[in-house]
Amino acid sequence: MLDAALEHLIRGIVDNPEDVEVNTRNNRGRGNTLDVIVNPDDMGRVIGRQGRTANALRTVIKAVSPNGSIGVNFLDVDER
Amino acid sequence: MTSDESVTEEVEVDVVEEDVQEDVESTDDKPKKQSKSEKRFEQLEREGDIAADYLEGLLDIADLDGDIDMDVEADRAMVAIVGADNLDQLVGDNGKTLDALQELTRLAVTQQTGERSRLMLDVAGYRAGRRELLTEMGQEACRRAKEEGTSVSLSPMTPYERKIVHDAVADAGLKSESEGSEPNRYVVVVP
Repeated sequence: MLDAALEHLIRGIVDNPEDVEVNTRNNRGRGNTLDVIVNPDDMGRVIGRQGRTANALRTVIKAVSPNGSIGVNFLDVDER
Repeated sequence: MTSDESVTEEVEVDVVEEDVQEDVESTDDKPKKQSKSEKRFEQLEREGDIAADYLEGLLDIADLDGDIDMDVEADRAMVAIVGADNLDQLVGDNGKTLDALQELTRLAVTQQTGERSRLMLDVAGYRAGRRELLTEMGQEACRRAKEEGTSVSLSPMTPYERKIVHDAVADAGLKSESEGSEPNRYVVVVP
């Protein structure tokens, strides 16, 4: 559910919604992390000025997460 | 005679206004002839529609109940998620989640319209209640400033919240200013 929610939130704010991909990574009992892949051209958009947009995305996803423990990680091109 | 000219102008203005409703059915972005304010109103309605789609998508996925109200007020699109008991999680401490969701919703609107949005989002009446509280705080600060003859400083607030307090102070006939820098900027009521 959280990956779909994050995917929806990001798709609405980028130029290339079809390139948005969110994968859930399990951290062995230390909650989950959502790995976000977007088109490199949209990276600035998703991070925002001083990380404002990235933080807004994290805040909303944490709020709809059942136990509030979920990380959001934005992957750079070379991390893929 | 120059009066002829003004008569002609008036007639033209009337014609423009009559044409306004011409393509009410069309979703085309480029209506032919419209008055500026009507165009603006339609633009703000469109902002509300885009915002509603974006938010409904989130509510669906997160399995949250809630209806979406849309309105245009004071040259802003006003969008509110209402009607369910489980919406507090979308408000968060001090409205933190609500502010984040508003930020994202504005970006989603801008993505589609190409123009910056000043849309206001409310969830479960949080902002409406907050507005009442802030107005009372402004009035209370005015009372103290008058009684004690000193400046009264309030706690840090967002620009929108400070605006509400400034308005309440002005209504009470006193003056106020903002001091400090974001995010710790606060209102000072001057006696």
